[in-house]
Amino acid sequence: MILTVTPNPALDKLYWLRSLPEDLGLTEEGSSIRAEKSLTSAGGKGINVSVFLAAHGIETVAMGFLGGHTGQIILRDLLSRGVSTNFVWIEEENRVNVVLIVQGKGYHPIHIHEAGPRVDADALQIFWRKYQRMLSRASYVVLGGALPPGLSPDFYRELARAARERGVPVILHAGGEPMLRAVAEGPFLVKPDVREVACFGDMPMHTEEEVLSAGRKALSLGAHACLVSHHLTGDFLFSPDGIWKFEAKVSPAAFRNVIGADDALVGGILVGLSQGKDLVEAVKYGMAAAEAAAEVDEKLCLEREKIAEKMELIEVQYKGKP
Amino acid sequence: MKVRDFLRRDLTAVEADSSVLHAIKLLENSGLSALPVVDEEGRVVGIVSERDIIRALVPEYMDMLHSASFLPSLDRLTKRLKEIAAHPVARYMTKEVVVARLEDNDLHVADLMLRKGLKQLPVVDEQGRLVGVVRRIDLLSRL
Repeated sequence: MILTVTPNPALDKLYWLRSLPEDLGLTEEGSSIRAEKSLTSAGGKGINVSVFLAAHGIETVAMGFLGGHTGQIILRDLLSRGVSTNFVWIEEENRVNVVLIVQGKGYHPIHIHEAGPRVDADALQIFWRKYQRMLSRASYVVLGGALPPGLSPDFYRELARAARERGVPVILHAGGEPMLRAVAEGPFLVKPDVREVACFGDMPMHTEEEVLSAGRKALSLGAHACLVSHHLTGDFLFSPDGIWKFEAKVSPAAFRNVIGADDALVGGILVGLSQGKDLVEAVKYGMAAAEAAAEVDEKLCLEREKIAEKMELIEVQYKGKP
Repeated sequence: MKVRDFLRRDLTAVEADSSVLHAIKLLENSGLSALPVVDEEGRVVGIVSERDIIRALVPEYMDMLHSASFLPSLDRLTKRLKEIAAHPVARYMTKEVVVARLEDNDLHVADLMLRKGLKQLPVVDEQGRLVGVVRRIDLLSRL
């Protein structure tokens, strides 16, 4: 069973627009935008990974905090997709994340993110008991996404430590200070979130050289391996065995929605690892899943045939020892 | 059809030392009519239902009268609820739990529910650990 923790789940609301009004925010009367299409689904990094895994027939349990009407919708969506759920209920309502995708600019969505509900000490205590219980069944743990108000930046570090003590490998799929602190606990794989700020701590990750420095830094801090998305179609994997560059031979012009691509990448890696592939091959499958996800309207492409087709387009290059 | 094909994969549960108040809130949020009670390994050791909590609130003689019309007012229940709110659910849970297993078929589960008058069953794996629940509506919606 693969356990995913999403401390700050969201209801993702995606809107497709023909265009954005040129006078947006400039008129006195306000602006009105008519969506061509919309999709609503449970969201958050760990949750998306669970949805991907369940579609591949892999047993997965999603954990985190749910509250209010939005929490009920998130729960219902996950159960309908075959994900096992073990959430802690809180008083405040879960957040709604709005994403605007303008026609022809699927690779450049506009996000409106809420902070999320506050998690109090009682809820946290209940969560810890559940988490310890689920660790005994888990083959991997994915810690994913931003933390909600009320949780310490050491939250992921403490979860990673508890998993390490139980011998359960951790995939850290997050960003910022909580991710940096958790790296010290020796996670199996770190996948830094670079969507908002392309940095690893105070190290920028814009150029290839900067990415290489940041990846090496992650290993030196304790990570067993680190995967950094350099650009839309290129990733670097760092491990004690070496550095690999992955490049997908696809055109970003074909991308319709990149929102879930990172989560498909992590989900794909876990599918590969669950099938007995080594990390390099697993990352290759993850990249294929990410590219397939970017070419459909939904956040994730759950059709294995389409992912398999993308495998042929992923090139892997060994770049030497880290 | 096997239970594994239609169970609700919701692991919502309480521990034996969880409070009655916590169980009430969880019943409200989860949409379940009863909560499995699990130990530290996730094994089902009991079940606490809405009915178990209501029975803990009303005087024992109500069982014999079979009617709530003999209650002087709901204030008495409110007072009693405040008294037991912090009690552990272990005091009120049913310890002999009827469970379903992933390989049970739908007819077997329907028969169990009808014969025992149960609204839902916890589903357990080979180690007796909770893996979900089956509610009457999960069966009805597939007829």
